[in-house]
Amino acid sequence: MRKHFRRFAQFTALSSLVLLSACGGAQSSGEKDANGAGKVTADIGVISYISGPGAAYGEAITNGLKLANEEINKKGEVEINLVIEDSAGKQDQALTAAQKLMNSKNVTAIIGPTLSTEMNVVGPEADLNGVPIMGTSTTAEGIPQIGEYVFRNSLPEALAIPASIDKAIEKYDAKKVAILYGNDDVFTKSGFDTMKKAAEEKGLEILTIETFQKGQSDYNAQLTKIKSLKPDLILASALYNEGAVIMDQARKMGIDVPFVGGNGFNSPEVIKIAGDAANGLIVATPWYGDKDDQKVQDFVKKYEEKYGKKPDQFAAQAYDALYILAEALKNAGDADRDAVRDALAETKDFQGILGSFSFDKDGDVVMEPTVLVIDEGKFTVFE
Amino acid sequence: MLGELINPYYLQVASFILINVILGISIYITLSTGQLSLANAGFMGVGAYTSALLTLNFDFPILIGILAGTLMAGLFGIIIGIPTLRLQGVYLAIVTLGFGEVLRVILVNWESLTKGSIGLSGIPHLGREILRTFKELGFNPGVMGLQNNQFIFLMVFLLLLFIVIGIIWFFKRQNRSRIGRAFAAIKLDEKAAESMGINITYYKVLAFTQGALLSGFAGALYAHVLAYISPADFAYHRAVEILIFAVFGGSEVIWGPVFGALFLTVMPEVLRFISEYRYMIYGLIILVMMAVRPQGLIDVHLLNWMKLKTKKRGKEHGTANQKSA
Repeated sequence: MRKHFRRFAQFTALSSLVLLSACGGAQSSGEKDANGAGKVTADIGVISYISGPGAAYGEAITNGLKLANEEINKKGEVEINLVIEDSAGKQDQALTAAQKLMNSKNVTAIIGPTLSTEMNVVGPEADLNGVPIMGTSTTAEGIPQIGEYVFRNSLPEALAIPASIDKAIEKYDAKKVAILYGNDDVFTKSGFDTMKKAAEEKGLEILTIETFQKGQSDYNAQLTKIKSLKPDLILASALYNEGAVIMDQARKMGIDVPFVGGNGFNSPEVIKIAGDAANGLIVATPWYGDKDDQKVQDFVKKYEEKYGKKPDQFAAQAYDALYILAEALKNAGDADRDAVRDALAETKDFQGILGSFSFDKDGDVVMEPTVLVIDEGKFTVFE
Repeated sequence: MLGELINPYYLQVASFILINVILGISIYITLSTGQLSLANAGFMGVGAYTSALLTLNFDFPILIGILAGTLMAGLFGIIIGIPTLRLQGVYLAIVTLGFGEVLRVILVNWESLTKGSIGLSGIPHLGREILRTFKELGFNPGVMGLQNNQFIFLMVFLLLLFIVIGIIWFFKRQNRSRIGRAFAAIKLDEKAAESMGINITYYKVLAFTQGALLSGFAGALYAHVLAYISPADFAYHRAVEILIFAVFGGSEVIWGPVFGALFLTVMPEVLRFISEYRYMIYGLIILVMMAVRPQGLIDVHLLNWMKLKTKKRGKEHGTANQKSA
């Protein structure tokens, strides 16, 4: 019996050692390649939401990054080695993943994490350690303002929402609006704050502000009230799953005014769920897959070949992010964290699949969003 | 020398383990009187928000914030405890779960104070504040060959380690005192305990409040280690997570939840190399555990058996071998 126990103890000790060393491996390779003059080799860390309820976002992001990585390495100017870590959508997991990347893997820069809540935790830590970090899907207010080393290339709500509201006002001559938003989600709440501010700035009369909760299935109370007030536009800060149901119930009730949505509402799923009721949804997006541009079409084709589905905005933003970083690495000429940060900050008029892209002084996005509308069951450019 | 050994990644994971150990103990205390309470996540939220708001808005030192958070959670424990402890078993679980949800909804809707679901960011960080204090005293971590961030995480880790050892020591002692005996008696049979002259309401509220104090304390620490909190952190899934520490590790002895918290926090990190599959493996391990050892991994029998083993060994092979046992 004792022997058994000892065996067991030895086995556990050994196997845990093996496990630990398995995650410990791979040292930094942040040095210049000796023979290829000027060729920069760098480890880039990725923190992504790969497991859990939001895993679809993380999957799209990592797919986009991997595709970009292959192409960049093939070109041969820069050699990037992606180190991908999962955050499971949790702040503490994202933070430990970031610590691992920064301290154990000695990465040059980090792409991610996926959610703005995670970035709120990881951003300050990366900034303190002097590691450039770029969010590809963090759209909430105040993210790049965390510090000098924090960037993002995802179109913030503060740019997207006013753009779509502007176009809608122009077209429908709207004066009175009703706002509807989910108040228990960071994403929709922050979208609402932006919406309200934009509506006030443009001198729209806000008839009512209604709230709902995640997972709610009956919106008749809110919609009845909105209907009686006869708004010209409905601003809805919702994620697509709730948003689609809202549109469906609104159309059934006879509300036929257009909806303006935030970034989370922008998904082909809306059409799948709501069908014809989705017509008249206006969203601003950095990504439009049917754009008449060679780069965009090449990307869509390659992505579809490789992963068997069409890329969404998360994949596209991640794809561009790695290209922006590669450009910065090339300009820095060295995988030094500070040099890369400075080169990143200087990014200007970068031509990617999302269009022309620059960072402002905070590391936030400067670009022109495309405004789309759902018309006859398809996203088309809103004129 | 020392600088090369200290990796903030491991220290960060260790800090989360220690906070989870405190949470594990907090549910163990209430379970030790036979009450199944799921309010611990709520109390954790009370502690975290109290401390965060005090340090953010009124510039209180972190120490005072954490103490205030702990006491506030304890106060909530008494207020919630007295009426709800008339309930037993699953009914108590339902009501305490309800408390957690109510609290979350309040945090989401009280926007002027809590910023709603966006959460509080920029909370003073425990380690960074310690570093600042040390620097003001004229101490530079460079003397020990440490970089600033290594020093920060080392300090947080050591502080938490001392706290956790203190807490475990306290509750081990309490278990052998009149209070611990009363808890055990109530757990085994409330009626019998009452007829023996134990004031069961008093002891039940005491256990409930101790649990609340500990969760509030852990919550306050969590806020100052992560520097960002939002209502979603203290929702239903957190309550279940805390419960799993006790269910997995065992709730009969204090080492059960301690081990549960340790194991279940380390596991996702160790399994990182299989990235997207790691939560499947994690789930599988828990499933197997439930089937094989429903009382939890560590129970009294196991501890006794281990004690017996080590004693025998010591006799047979002399003291030199005791280390390897």
